[in-house]
Amino acid sequence: MRAVTTLIIGAGQSGLAMSRALAHRGVDHLILERGAVANAWRTDRWDSLRLLTPNWANGLPGAPYRGPDPDGYMRVSELVERLDAYVSEIGAPVQCETEVLRVTQTDAGFRVDTSRGSVGCRALVLATGACARSHVPALAAAVPSGVFQTTPSAYKRPDDLPPGGVLVVGASASGVQLAREIMASGRPVTLAVGWHIRLPRTYRGRDVEWWLDSLGLMDERFDQVDDLARVRRTPSPQLIGAPEPVNLNALQDNGVEIVGRLMDIRDGAALFSGGLANACTSADLKMNRLLDAADEWATEHGLDDALLPPERPKLTRAPRAPALSRSLTDGGIRSIVWATGYRPDFSWLDLPVFDARGRLRHHGGVVAAPGLYAMGLTFMRRRRSHQISGVGDDAHELSAHLNAFLDGRVGIAA
Amino acid sequence: MTNQTETRTVSNGVDVAALLEAKQAIEATPEAGQFTWRARCKWVDGVQSRSTVDGFFGLGEEQARKSPHTIDADHPEQFAATDAGPTPVEIVLSGLASCLSAGVASVAQHRGIQLRSVEAKVEGDMDLAGILGVDGGVRNGFSAIRISFEIDADATPDEIAALVAQSQKRSAVFDIITNPTNVHVTVA
Repeated sequence: MRAVTTLIIGAGQSGLAMSRALAHRGVDHLILERGAVANAWRTDRWDSLRLLTPNWANGLPGAPYRGPDPDGYMRVSELVERLDAYVSEIGAPVQCETEVLRVTQTDAGFRVDTSRGSVGCRALVLATGACARSHVPALAAAVPSGVFQTTPSAYKRPDDLPPGGVLVVGASASGVQLAREIMASGRPVTLAVGWHIRLPRTYRGRDVEWWLDSLGLMDERFDQVDDLARVRRTPSPQLIGAPEPVNLNALQDNGVEIVGRLMDIRDGAALFSGGLANACTSADLKMNRLLDAADEWATEHGLDDALLPPERPKLTRAPRAPALSRSLTDGGIRSIVWATGYRPDFSWLDLPVFDARGRLRHHGGVVAAPGLYAMGLTFMRRRRSHQISGVGDDAHELSAHLNAFLDGRVGIAA
Repeated sequence: MTNQTETRTVSNGVDVAALLEAKQAIEATPEAGQFTWRARCKWVDGVQSRSTVDGFFGLGEEQARKSPHTIDADHPEQFAATDAGPTPVEIVLSGLASCLSAGVASVAQHRGIQLRSVEAKVEGDMDLAGILGVDGGVRNGFSAIRISFEIDADATPDEIAALVAQSQKRSAVFDIITNPTNVHVTVA
């Protein structure tokens, strides 16, 4: 069996950042990638997708964005090009087209069985990301067979869907973006809206990412928040990598019908919650609390004159009597897009490191098995952990822990 | 994006520490969180009935109430009934208002907001063509429910609105009314 000191699974931004950090510490390592570099970005995203963060926020460790459009939002294809170039820049040892099938514990560390043989390692970094697969709720099993179903991981463009009405389930970043472009394709869209996070693309002339950064929220650490499990479940905000808003008012202006959260499918009908108004009110209140904090921060820092005057987005117009059910058998709805979140996929990890709900047990990316680390998970070490801009600091800190582990030094804080 | 925690000494009569302890206990031992609520109902006469609530299952075992509670339900004289108690639908509306009010008090306590008064007016619209079988297209239940809260508290209007929003988010009765539930009725 081939052996390396440290193995990284996944050659996306997380795996590459870790590779660079390990190289700086002189740790021998290899990256295994199931397809090509940035595989999930290449294969599991829709055509029109642009990053939700502006270009200036998408620098990689040691390679800040120096392109012509720092305030723009790059296409996924541009990110893939950048990651390809980054591999050469940092000389990352990537072995592509190698799918990991199973990971088990050995006396010496881990045995990683792949589609191209087995590799042994002392330390292992899981860098397959927070969005490895689309989550589909169990009630999808009750959808009548005539309805086409897809997820944001499989969907590429509106013409992938049959003509006719579309039910988009979920109104976070993926759901609102897909509702918008599917509606524009001439297919009537019904959007099922549960708890969601509303953010304006810009406020007082600055991108919301600038505000989140300035307020220190993106660097808030996992051991500083009150209820980490709840924070990690927070849905992605209703944003698109474009100046246009994708909030529920804008979607309704474009003809999208909004209904409450999809609660059940019974006798061939989708049943929606009657609690839509409160989901909208809660999101508006939460958004305005953030903007209140932004205004306070601006005043404290003497920036009121440098910024545009505070102008709050209009409150969400929740329909007075949203539909509570919709037939899935009368031909009105021909397809369903399950924009109901993403999950990591560690199905190949045959180690006792999961909690009762199947989630990876880790403390800031230090997994509950000596020598095992994660990267890129939601709010893993800080709020930006799952973003492009989050991988540098996480890789720096976790590579220090990993290096200490290899040296037999213990008691290093995560 | 920030968590508000108790910063001032307020007294709304809610033991938040006990609720947070219960949350931690249930996170550690999910079985303890499996509850079954019960009521027994006995027909009295006409359209009057009396329900008794005296125990429930929870925290892993049968639990008893300090003493049994009874709720009489009847219908108004306009329904040719004796009006010996509220109608079942009014009990449902009361349940919703009570649940949300309890939520407002709990959330206010947790957020350090002193309440002075909380009043809710609740209304449910119903077309009797449903229950009387006049029109099969009309549902039996409410076509809409409205609740209006009047809250006097040591807080800004947005903070008060957030109390009411969070209370709905965590309310059992709000969920029961807004979302479908499978109901199994059998005859012994």
